[in-house]
This record gives sequence, C-alpha cells and structure tokens, in this order.
Amino acid sequence: MVYETHSPVETEALATSLAAALSPGAVIAFSGGLGAGKTAFTRGLAKGLNAAGEVSSPTFALVHEYRGEPPLIHFDMYRISSLDDLYTTGYFDYLDGGNILAIEWSEKIADALPEDAIRIFIETTGETSRRITIEGGPDFEYPLH
Amino acid sequence: MNILSIDTSAQVASVCILDETGILSEFNVNVKLTHSQTLMPMCEAALDCAKISLEQIGAFAVSAGPGSFTGVRIGVSAVKGLAASSGKPCIPVSTLEGLAYNLQPESGILCAAMDARCAQVYNALFRWEDGSLRRLCEDRAVSIEALGKELEQFGENIFLVGDGADLCFNKLKEALPSLERVPPHLRFQRAASVGLAALERAKAGKTCTAAELMPVYLRLPQAERELLKKQQK
Repeated sequence: MVYETHSPVETEALATSLAAALSPGAVIAFSGGLGAGKTAFTRGLAKGLNAAGEVSSPTFALVHEYRGEPPLIHFDMYRISSLDDLYTTGYFDYLDGGNILAIEWSEKIADALPEDAIRIFIETTGETSRRITIEGGPDFEYPLH
Repeated sequence: MNILSIDTSAQVASVCILDETGILSEFNVNVKLTHSQTLMPMCEAALDCAKISLEQIGAFAVSAGPGSFTGVRIGVSAVKGLAASSGKPCIPVSTLEGLAYNLQPESGILCAAMDARCAQVYNALFRWEDGSLRRLCEDRAVSIEALGKELEQFGENIFLVGDGADLCFNKLKEALPSLERVPPHLRFQRAASVGLAALERAKAGKTCTAAELMPVYLRLPQAERELLKKQQK
C-alpha cells in the first residue's frame, strides 16, 4: 500500500494506525535517506503501542528500547557491517523476545531480516510531505487516507 | 561442597543447587527471554527449597557460552556478582559441555548443537566412557553442512542435544541414518547439568575468581561473517 502524508503529524498517525494491528514479533524494516521521517514514523508506532519515553534516533546507541505492550525496539543498523556486529547488539535476542522491532538502515542486515518483515519505504515528495510504501504486514485502518 | 549453578545461555533460564551427593533443587523456566527478571527470584527459591543459605554455597557455576549474546551476559554477570560479594570461586562451564551432561548414553556420540543462525550451529562432540565425559573436539561455530560431513566418519549412533537438534536432524537425517534427537526433556540447557560438569571441574581444581570469569563467544567462520559485507557491495 502507498500512502501520502503531508506533515510529520500525519506520518505519526499512519504509524499509530499500523501499530494497533501488529502482533508481538513483528519486524518493521525501513529504507530511506536522512530526514525522511523514520523517527517520526517510529514515534507513531510507540504511541500506538503505549510505549513510554521520548522517541529519538538510535544512531549513537544503535538500539533504543521502549516499554510498550509489547515492547518496541528501535534499531539503527547504519554502523553494522558483519554478523558478529549484529550479534553483539542483541538483535537475535530481541527478535525472539516477543517484541516489535523497528529497524532503520535495514538494508545493512538484509540477510538477517526475517522473511515476513514489513518493508517501509519513505520518499520525500515535498518539504513536509512524504510518500510511504508499506509492503507486507497486517491490514489496518488509516482514517486519514 | 554446595554449588549454585545457573544457565541463561538461551531461551531456558535454569538454576540448581547441588553437592557431591546429588541435586538438591532445580528450577527451569522456558518462556521468552525474561532472564533478567526471573533469575534472582529463582536463585532465592532454589536456595529456600534446598534449605541452604547463600553463605553455605562454596562455588558458583555458570554456562559461560556460547549462546545468546544477552543471555550469556546475564548469567555471567549474575554469577560474577554473587561470587564477588561472597569471595567464593566461580566455575565457568561450556554451554555445550553442560548439554552433554543431560544424558549418559552407554555408547554413541553426543553431538551438542545450538542454533547460531544462518544455517550454522555452535557445536562440540562428546562421548561417555566409563562414567566420565570425553570431549572429541573444541567448541566451535560450524555450518550444519560441514558438521554433517564430519559426522559421516562415525559408524555409531549420534545423539543430537541442544536447541539446534531439529535443525541438524532435518538437514542431515538423509545422509546420516544413525542420527537421533534426544527427547525434549533432555534436549535443552539445564543448570543441573552445568552443576554436574562444575563438580568435575572443581575436583580438578578448575575454578576462577569473580574477576577472571568472562563470557565466551565463538566467532562465526570468516566466510559467513563477511557475507553481509559482500552483499552490500
């Protein structure tokens, strides 16, 4: 499905709608350049999962954990270049732990993504507008669409 | 000597109190990784049930890896803390060796295999001889395919133990008709097995201090490690 959003608030709302339909173990794999709206999207996911805490980019820490129901695990894989690297982030443990994973720069770990990962591509179409393509995952209601 | 042993190296969290006479108490929990929350209450309960106080524990044993990155760190940190605060020694046990203590077949090879992802397993081979465990190779990370080739040399029963047993069995059963999986209650990590291995190590004087205790991680074979990099180019 392709969605057009016109502001970060709308991007968040789209993600919140998706979050409501996700089951524990779901993996969301982002591709898209800097400033595209991945963090805004993840903020919406956190809201939808009632996850506590201010969502920020995990570029520095590699992974941020938000205690929601289920927990939301937010990865930035930009600096991951080998399976050993990936192992030491605890990625495989989070994957098995009944969490929802949101992964920025997922193309860096292409081989290690589950086959049923939900792929999200965010394109910049204007200053605040985005085209968001969601491949796979559950059907969900998005009232603004 | 009373030993408190811990295994949190994969999905099971397990705690056991034992001494030379046998296993006094053991708790096993097999749910999603919640070790950091369940481990300490389990230690307390295992001690309570065995009517042993923490001061009466002579050494702390742990499966120090290989295993889940987070799981191994939780077990090793817990034992490090318990041993450091009491001044008692630690006994690190290979997770694979611990698995080999789950059962003692009179003949045949014990093949301990843990899922290391990407069609690889953490593996070691053992054989029980007159009540003592003989190790046939060092712990290693190996592709299931390479392991299969290696197992062809053995003309006897091969018992698969560990959470990689199904993976190996399904991939290798055609080529290796002598391959068997041990039943589920003997297949996964148990602190009792870690404790039994630790008793042997203690007898041989193989203990260490809390400061010396370290997690053991096996690196994946080079070719596999580079796989992601190649794909990116």
